[in-house]
Amino acid sequence: MLGELLYILAAAIITWLLFVSVDIFFRLPEKGGVSGASAVARDIQAAGGDIAGGNMMGNIVCSPDASAGTLLAACGVYVAGIPGGLIAAALVFIGNRICHDPGYAGTTGALLATFVVYGFTQVGFTATNFIAGTVIAILSIQGISHVHASRLLARLWRVRQ
Amino acid sequence: MIALPLVAVVAVVAALRATFERNTARKLPYVNVLNFAIAASIVLLLDHPLSLVAAAAYFVGSTLEANAIASTYAGARNQ
Repeated sequence: MLGELLYILAAAIITWLLFVSVDIFFRLPEKGGVSGASAVARDIQAAGGDIAGGNMMGNIVCSPDASAGTLLAACGVYVAGIPGGLIAAALVFIGNRICHDPGYAGTTGALLATFVVYGFTQVGFTATNFIAGTVIAILSIQGISHVHASRLLARLWRVRQ
Repeated sequence: MIALPLVAVVAVVAALRATFERNTARKLPYVNVLNFAIAASIVLLLDHPLSLVAAAAYFVGSTLEANAIASTYAGARNQ
């Protein structure tokens, strides 16, 4: 059981790095994609956070981003291997269009995560490790401290710039 | 298998934080974590290929709801 917990923590770190890199590459911290995302960012800033990190967190709330892509890709690999991950990427693409998101962070994240998750299942990990790992990773950004998470994301965004 | 209990605990923590957060916009990231946890639980609980479609449908639907709530909140505040 402890071994499985360590695998889940390792999977959380891998997925965190994956989706934060993809989201920052696709410029999610630059601005809110919809007015609701900007409202979330403004309220996080008002609470002492950073607007760039807040923008990214608002965008994650308002449309399936790379973190959602990673979760659904892990679910897809768990259900049906690589084809399952590719189906998940197609579902994320549809989800992005439904949520008025002009970007491709979610779809790209799902495609990359499919191969990353599948690769790690070949070296001892299971897809369930990545499903739980992604939930832990998103908890660390959206569910612990909005102020600190937004500042960390803003710092990474400035490195990207 | 510890994945499902872990995801369930995250869901409960996120639900409690969303309940006790007073600012409407800042509730939504907690609700987002809750949605992740529920989508993960659907796949972990239901041993069927279509559980992926169920999880994706739930997740996209709930994200659209969060989008609508956030945009309504933004519109109401700007008036």
